Amino acid sequence: MKKKFKLESVDCAHCAEQMAVLIRKIPGVNDASINFMTQRLIIDADEAAFPEILRLAQKACDRVDDGCVIKV
Amino acid sequence: MRLSKKDRHVLVRIVSTAALFLVLLVAEHTGQLERLPSVWLLRACYAVPYFLIGYDILWKSLKNVCHLRFFDEEQLMLYATVAAFCIGEYPEATAVMLLFQIGELFQRIAVGKSRKSISDLMDICPVVAYRETDGAIEEVDPEDLVPGDIIVVKAGERVPVDGVVVHGVASLDTAALTGESAPRDVAPGDALYSGCINLNGTLRVEVKKKFEDSTVAIILEMVENASDKKAKTEAFITRFAHVYTPAVIAAAALLALIPPLVLHGDWSEWIRRACIFLVISCPCALVISVPLSFFGGIGAASRAGVLVKGSNCLEAVAKMTTVVFDRTGTLTCGRFSVTDIRPADGDKTALLALAAAAEYYSDHPIAASIRAENQVDLTNFAIGSSETLTGQGVKTEVNDEMVWAGNEALMRSLGHTQQPVETGTAVHVATAARYLGVIVISDSVKPGAAEALCRLKQNGVRRCIMLTGDHVSAAGAAAAELPVDDVRAELLPQDKVAAVEELLKTRSSKETLGFVGDGINDAPVLACADVGFAMGTLGSDAAIEAADVVIMDDDLNKMNAAVRIARKTLRIAKENIAFALGVKAAVLLLGALGIASLWLAVFADVGVMMLAVLNAMRTLRTK
Repeated sequence: MKKKFKLESVDCAHCAEQMAVLIRKIPGVNDASINFMTQRLIIDADEAAFPEILRLAQKACDRVDDGCVIKV
Repeated sequence: MRLSKKDRHVLVRIVSTAALFLVLLVAEHTGQLERLPSVWLLRACYAVPYFLIGYDILWKSLKNVCHLRFFDEEQLMLYATVAAFCIGEYPEATAVMLLFQIGELFQRIAVGKSRKSISDLMDICPVVAYRETDGAIEEVDPEDLVPGDIIVVKAGERVPVDGVVVHGVASLDTAALTGESAPRDVAPGDALYSGCINLNGTLRVEVKKKFEDSTVAIILEMVENASDKKAKTEAFITRFAHVYTPAVIAAAALLALIPPLVLHGDWSEWIRRACIFLVISCPCALVISVPLSFFGGIGAASRAGVLVKGSNCLEAVAKMTTVVFDRTGTLTCGRFSVTDIRPADGDKTALLALAAAAEYYSDHPIAASIRAENQVDLTNFAIGSSETLTGQGVKTEVNDEMVWAGNEALMRSLGHTQQPVETGTAVHVATAARYLGVIVISDSVKPGAAEALCRLKQNGVRRCIMLTGDHVSAAGAAAAELPVDDVRAELLPQDKVAAVEELLKTRSSKETLGFVGDGINDAPVLACADVGFAMGTLGSDAAIEAADVVIMDDDLNKMNAAVRIARKTLRIAKENIAFALGVKAAVLLLGALGIASLWLAVFADVGVMMLAVLNAMRTLRTK
């Protein structure tokens, strides 16, 4: 199932793209995309796996751009 | 404009670094720095502003290196500036850092401003609703309303959910939904859409839809998701950026190593040239400005009451050369009205008045349109008993004489043989002795439709084609009033799909075909065209679902607004691509030849980005 999250302080479009690539690689994620303009992160994954995926996604974002926060 | 804490902090650093840097530059040019006892002291002087402006970039780069991530923007700046320092270009190294930071700050402000102007536009979400239960009014969350509830909407308030007015009259501001500035009046029985603002009066409204199914929620959802679907131009840039940066870095490495090793060139000269490559290798100008252009275009369109479902749809609208219109409800008003009055003799007003008197008791829609057209006061007519002759018409006693009004079959039974009219529906009027004339009722062409089509053609649409389920004759009459190039009549809904598919084959791959329908039963056709426009869809979620572009009211001129905005957006995106690539290619060439300096490179990089972003933001203001 697909879920939407707000992504705060993404500063560069290129970073957003890189974050999406990293999040897509997280096990259990079917698809992920980041809309830089509307600051939305959309993750398509299994419902039960979401808490763990979100933790890993936040970690992936930190690696690309420190200070970027995924709001649930 | 308020800056975030982070941005204010960066701004302070930029200003202080710039001041310090300026002092150093002046000192250098007046020869003061040459008096310094050691070159290390000179380096230290330039290192102060360099670290002041660049410490966060350096820190981030080092962290990324630890994470085994190489060649992001920050690291490129690090490599370029360190290399510049090593070859003695201290002012250049500081300038690169300083301008990079200015560029980044500018970019954040520009993106923030665009985001804000879109979110202001989308600020149509109602926060509270006032529910009336047993005469008491309570404040509730719009999401808690259920169909059947009665809510009160006072002047100045936003309608929280879709409903029907049960009491009160008011003017509504629908601008947020339709882009239309003229207020719309509502009275009991009228449908009311969420997101409109009540300008005056108090309305009591029966809730018809839950909040999440209401117009406002559907629109917000759609606009928020719009920029997920990327246009081809946008996808191209993303792919290009993936290749561009590594390629330029590789070229820089070769440039720094090959000539000194193979041709015994001067190391510092070739490293300097390689630095120029590194500084120019960031694809920021493209990566930021192209999506920003499309985002702005979608925003400008929503302000005009045209919802575009994605950047790809906007791109398709810009390339549209053929537009296929569904007739009923799109080019025509979709309701019957009197279009012709042909008395056998005597005047038109009298014939119409007599027909209206004859149809006085009829509840048929055709009768209603005759009565609506009539201007004569019917109280002067003695209207007696009336009888409906099913499938034929009516007979009514008017002024002590029996009057028949109806179709050809009815006339034949009276002995008045009449030819069928060529367009629309005929209501013949006769007495037993005399045939009096005919009134033609048809679905009239929308006012302004012809003008809108002419303007579409001026905007680059080459073919306008009309599809209709009506008879050839009726279709021909509507076509005569409009600048359409082709008419396909007597089509069943499935034939419309076939007709559009056939037309799709005739357009070239660089062009697109648009279909415009009222969205009620056009869903298959809307889906099969390159761009499906649904019109007059305020409150119809099925149409919003099926179409690519939704025109909230039924104004055909909005098509023109959509085409204009789409064309301008695409043009700006292309301008930015050509400009950024052109300047970068020129600087790379000049740099490799040793003509360009690091100063030129960094000004070119940051300058191009700023100009491209400013250019992209123009789309937001397109009318």
